[in-house]
Amino acid sequence: MTLARKATGPRLLTANRLDDGLVVFLAPDGQWHPDAARAAIARNDAQAAALEADGADAVRANLVVGPYLVEITEDDGSIVPVEHRERRRLAGPSVSTSASTAKALAA
Amino acid sequence: MYRYDEFDAAFVRERVDQFREQVGRRLDGSLTEEEFRPLRLMNGLYLQLHAYMLRVAIPYGTLSSRQMRQLAGIADDFDKGYGHFTTRQNIQFNWPKLVDVPAILDRLAEVEMHAIQTSGNCIRNVTADHWAGVAADEIEDPRPYAELLRQWSSLHPEFSFLPRKFKIAVTGAPKDRAAVAYHDIGLRIVRNEKGETGFEVLVGGGMGRTPMIAVTVRNWVTKADLLPYLDAIMRVYNLHGRRDNNYKARVKILVHELGAEEFRRQVDAEFAQIDRSEIGVPPAELERIATYFAPPSYENADASDLDYHRALKTDASFAAWAERSVAPHRVDGHAIVNISLKPVGGIPGDATSAQMRAVADIAERWSKDEIRVSHEQNLVLPQVRKRDLFAVWQALTSAGLATPNIGLVSDIISCPGLDYCSLATARSIPIAQKISNRLGDARRQKEIGDIKIKISGCINACGHHHAGHIGILGLEKRGEEYYQITLGGSGDEKASIGEIIGPGFSSETVTDAVETIVDTYIGLRKDGENFLDAYRRVGAAPFKEAVYAAH
Repeated sequence: MTLARKATGPRLLTANRLDDGLVVFLAPDGQWHPDAARAAIARNDAQAAALEADGADAVRANLVVGPYLVEITEDDGSIVPVEHRERRRLAGPSVSTSASTAKALAA
Repeated sequence: MYRYDEFDAAFVRERVDQFREQVGRRLDGSLTEEEFRPLRLMNGLYLQLHAYMLRVAIPYGTLSSRQMRQLAGIADDFDKGYGHFTTRQNIQFNWPKLVDVPAILDRLAEVEMHAIQTSGNCIRNVTADHWAGVAADEIEDPRPYAELLRQWSSLHPEFSFLPRKFKIAVTGAPKDRAAVAYHDIGLRIVRNEKGETGFEVLVGGGMGRTPMIAVTVRNWVTKADLLPYLDAIMRVYNLHGRRDNNYKARVKILVHELGAEEFRRQVDAEFAQIDRSEIGVPPAELERIATYFAPPSYENADASDLDYHRALKTDASFAAWAERSVAPHRVDGHAIVNISLKPVGGIPGDATSAQMRAVADIAERWSKDEIRVSHEQNLVLPQVRKRDLFAVWQALTSAGLATPNIGLVSDIISCPGLDYCSLATARSIPIAQKISNRLGDARRQKEIGDIKIKISGCINACGHHHAGHIGILGLEKRGEEYYQITLGGSGDEKASIGEIIGPGFSSETVTDAVETIVDTYIGLRKDGENFLDAYRRVGAAPFKEAVYAAH
């Protein structure tokens, strides 16, 4: 995954978990969590490089697939990726099948 | 339906066992992701935006009740209780775990299904008219030939690593419901002066960033020559296709760059060299395949559809559904039932496991155990007696599957878009939902009439936007989704590519723009003229004027 420009702001490391494919984020304790709020945030290039090194280790340990850095802004404590695609990936699907089906059944 | 022979069954089992071992080696680190990726893709397993996605092949969109129930079970046991029927007549599961995929493939193998060749640069699942075998206007059932092509193209050693993916569609009717002109190869069954049936062969159609309508390379290919002739096409493509450039690697680019004449000349030269007796299928084998698709025994029609006509008069909801959903069957007293997977405001093509089971039960009881998946992301019950239509409608209604909108403005094709797909640039499902909610009132839909809206969330065009009467393409600019509108596309026998009307619209304004286009059409149409005909008569100007004046 390459960003269109070099990221300079705060960044976190994301990947998909190998066994179930779910989106995960690297936390300060070295664990991978589905919740981005628990992610370790790199505030400079050196910290970002350290996250990437941890990500490469996690790939070698068969924990995750395709780790990459996501540039974010912190809005009132909540994490908002800069790139549109990453905002959508972090948020999960914006549509719900069960909801639409329930609506259809009620109609 | 075609049944696997021992070879087919053994092969699919072996393939599942191989994949189970490959998954094991991936999980223990013996295989890197780089090594594993081509292996999983050969088995239909993608890694998408939020999770793995398994794409299961439904050959020419044909399912039995048993198979549909098995899909429902997979949705419940290994996914989130639903599946997504695609524009290639397949089904996708959006949330399988890697560790479960071998078990899912086992379940598929139990019912003669698999996910082989649903990805990669090979000949993909062969698609066909979803009314094949029962359409009133059909010359001949295309499914035996689709099955022949499936067998020929499955693991074909010469065509397993093509320059790019390759899609074949077959229709046996003059009314093209399979969008054959938008395929790498499109086959139309035609009749010659002697009354024999054979094939018109089209090559070089496609969607994506370079949409093209296929050209006819041969008006007449005999049944015996079908495989040798397709072999010749594949060989020319395999030799000259642009392996150096992914964007130029589809056969449509080759046909375009060589020109139809030169492409035809090369194919004919190759065809002349081929040992046709070696590749061609003996008539006995074709007959053997065809027996699997022999029509079921139909009862005498006599006056048995009186109940149907009575119900049409007495139940307005049933009549409204029947008007949109029921199509003429080639046998008297019978009908084709189209099931909308487009509840107003819902997700196009999604079905819950309960709905899949309901369709399986209904098909078993009233449609001779046959179900079809259409490329328009709907389902079909192809063998319903007219006298059973009312009961079928009641059962569909109970399952939330009786939306009376087939072919109307809310019967929208939409790719998964950026809600699921890692290639997408914008969301497409929410746009489909907004348009559906805005225009989905029954009277409003009826007023608008036949229209096809198709939405893709990126330039790859899985949502067939180029072929939409109104096409919508989702893109991203400076962090915001925006939507380009095309008008005048069509995937039928008079196929055309939609033309961009002008600057794109935000996710907030695109629904307004679509409504303005629809209202402009209503204002200018002549009696009985549908959207596409009106557009072809007046061109884009009045629509552009209305849309860009209003925004």
